[in-house]
Amino acid sequence: MIRSLLALSFIVIALAASAQNNGKRKAPPSMKSKGTPQEKFLNKQFWLGFKAGVNLTEATPVTRYSVITPTNYDVSKTDKSYKSFNKIGSHATLEVTFYYKGFSISAQPTYRTSKFVYSNEYAWTNTETSTQKLELKFDQEQQLNYADLPLIVKYEFTQNKLRPYVQIGAYYSVLLNATKSVTVSGTDNASGGTNAFKNEATVVGAKDLFTNNWGLIGGVGLNYNLGNVRLVFDASYHKGMSNIANVNNRYSNDRLSGIGDAQDDLKTNNIVFSLGVLFPLRFLSNNYKSLD
Amino acid sequence: MKKIGILLLFAAAIGCSNDADPEADKSFFTKFYDDSNFNVAYTPLDAVQTSSGGYLVLGLKRIIDSDGSSIDPGVIYIMRTDEFGAFVSDIELDETFVTPAPAFLDVNGHFYFFAMDSNGLSTQLFEVDENGQVAQQLNVGGSYPLAAGIDGTSLLLLNYDVGNKMTQMSVVSTDGHIQKSKEFTIGAGDGPEEPIMNHILRTGRLLPFQVGKTTGGLYFFNGFYNYTLSIVFTDLSADNPQGVIQGNQEDGGMSQVFPLSGGKFAAARFNYGDNYFLPQAALTQSGVTSCADLGGNPFPELSPNAPVTIITTSVGSTDRIIYGSNTRGKQIALFGYNPADGTFIGSKYIGFSNSFELASLTPTSDKGLLVLGTTYIAGRFPRICLFKLSAESLGDSFQQ
Repeated sequence: MIRSLLALSFIVIALAASAQNNGKRKAPPSMKSKGTPQEKFLNKQFWLGFKAGVNLTEATPVTRYSVITPTNYDVSKTDKSYKSFNKIGSHATLEVTFYYKGFSISAQPTYRTSKFVYSNEYAWTNTETSTQKLELKFDQEQQLNYADLPLIVKYEFTQNKLRPYVQIGAYYSVLLNATKSVTVSGTDNASGGTNAFKNEATVVGAKDLFTNNWGLIGGVGLNYNLGNVRLVFDASYHKGMSNIANVNNRYSNDRLSGIGDAQDDLKTNNIVFSLGVLFPLRFLSNNYKSLD
Repeated sequence: MKKIGILLLFAAAIGCSNDADPEADKSFFTKFYDDSNFNVAYTPLDAVQTSSGGYLVLGLKRIIDSDGSSIDPGVIYIMRTDEFGAFVSDIELDETFVTPAPAFLDVNGHFYFFAMDSNGLSTQLFEVDENGQVAQQLNVGGSYPLAAGIDGTSLLLLNYDVGNKMTQMSVVSTDGHIQKSKEFTIGAGDGPEEPIMNHILRTGRLLPFQVGKTTGGLYFFNGFYNYTLSIVFTDLSADNPQGVIQGNQEDGGMSQVFPLSGGKFAAARFNYGDNYFLPQAALTQSGVTSCADLGGNPFPELSPNAPVTIITTSVGSTDRIIYGSNTRGKQIALFGYNPADGTFIGSKYIGFSNSFELASLTPTSDKGLLVLGTTYIAGRFPRICLFKLSAESLGDSFQQ
C-alpha cells in the first residue's frame, strides 16, 4: 500500500514534469547560462525554508535475540513478529538548499519521531489436562526520536513554475529519546473458565536500547513556485544501513527483560512524506521576482 | 562533490561501529528457560561455568499434580547452555535419585554434586562432564545430603542421618571415598527432625544448611545440633564440636557464613523473620555462643528469613564481598562490601515485572558474575533464569 503510494507519487511528478515540458519548453539550464543577466541570475539560488510531514517505519531484524529461551519447543517461536509501515510518525525539517543549474545540494536537519511495532506470543498447556491453557501476547510499540542530519542532492527536470525533481543522499540520525509501550493481553483457560484479558500499557524509557545510525535516501518531489516563495512536496525512502540497537545494552532494561523482551539487532527503513515552503535568499532587485 | 563523498564515508564508518558484538552478547545477558508445559515447575540449585565458556545448571524438575492428590518430589535436572546463555541440551536423572544438595562443585574443571538413591537412602556422588552428561556415579553412603562444599581437591558433605537422627559432616574424595566424618546429635525426640524433613521434601521452609572450612583450618557446618540450627566448628576428629554458635531452633540462626582472611567472616543471620548482614564478623570458634548476640545491619527490604548467598570476587582491581538475597518486592538484590573493613560499597537489584528468587552466584572467567535464579514467567510458571552480569556492570555497582 505504502509502496504503491510512493510509486503513485513518482508517476504524478513525472507526468507533471512531462506536462510542463510539453506546454512551455524552456532551454535547459546549461543553455540558459548564456542568456540574459536575469537568466544567469536564476541559475544560482540559495533557499531556506521549513518542511513537515509524516513517516512510516519498517523494522528489519538482522539478528534476533530473546530472553525467553525454549527448552521443549522451537526457538523460532520466540521470534518477534514485526509489522511494517503501520504506525505514523512525524517530523519537522529546516531546509537549506543551494541551487545551481538544475542541481541542488541540500542540508535538511530534521527532528523525527518514528514508530514501529512488534509482538510475541506464548502459550502454555497442561500436559495432563489439555483444556488448561494460558496464551499471552506482548504488543510492543517503539517510539524513537531522532535528530536527522541528511545531505541530499536534487536534480530538477524543468525550470518552470512546477518543477519535479529527484533526490538522493545520505543521513546520519542522532538518537534523542526512545520509549517502549508494552501491552500484555491473553486468554486464560486455567482459572475455572475462559478469561480474555488485556492489561494497561506500560511505557518504559528505552533510550539505552538504541543508538545513532545512518542510511541512504532516494526520493522524488515537486517544487511549485508561488510568487516569491516555493512550495515543496516530496516523498522519499530512507534505507537504514546500520544497526539501530545498542548492542551493549540489549538486556540492560530490567523492566523489559523482566517480561522477556530483548532488543533485536535492527535496521529500519522509512517512507517519508513532507510538505513545506522555501524562501529564496538572493533577490535581483526590489522589483524583480527572484522566481519565474 | 568530493566533500559529499567524504561525509558519506564518515557516516558509513560511524554506522559500522554498531555491528553485532559477540563479546558483549557473552558478557551480559538475561535468559529465562521456558517449558511450554503448564504443569511443570523448575527449581534451580546451582550453576558452574565450563571450559568452553558455557554453563551447566543443576536443578529439579517436577510435575505439578493437576488434581492435587500427590506431591512430586521432582527429578534431578541438568541443563547445558552455551556461552551466550542459549539452551543447548538437558537431561533428567532417573527418579530414584532425589534430594540433591544444592551445590554444583567445580574441582579443577570436574563437576560434582551429591544426591540420594531413594532405594536404600544412600548418598551418591555424581560427576558431570562438560556436555552436561553424568560421567560417573559413586556410592558414598549416608542419607539425605543437605549441603556440600569444596576443600581444595576434596569435597565436603553435610548429611542428615535419618536412622540415628544425627547431623553428619564428611570430607569426601572425588572418587567417592569418605576421608573424615563425624556425627552430631540433633537432639532427642521427633521435634528437631520435622523442620529437617520439611526442608528435604520441600514441603516446608528451606533452611540454610551449609558446610565449609575456615581459613584457620577448622571445618564448620550450619545444621541442626542439639535441637537448634547452629554453626558448628569441628576438626572432624573430636567427638564434640570445638565451638557452637547457636540459633533459636529453626526460627533464628545464621543464614550464611563466608570465611575471610584474618579469621573474620562475612555472615548473615535471621531471627524470627528479620535479616541482618555482618560483613566482617568475628565469630567465636570455641565454646558455645548465640548468634542473637552478633548484631548486624538489619535489612527489612529482604523477604522474611531470606536465603542469603555470599561470595568474594574481584570487581575491577579490587576484591569485594557480594551478598545475594531476595527482596520483599520479589527482586534479587546484590550488596557489595569491602572485605578489608566491611564498608558498604553499593547495591544492585535484578529483575522486574515478574518475580525472581536467587539460587546461586557464580563468578565467571571474564570477571563477570552469573546469577542463577527462579523466575515466574507470566507470574505463575517457575522457570530457571540466568543473569550474566558483565565486569563493567559489576564495576558500576560495586567499585568506588
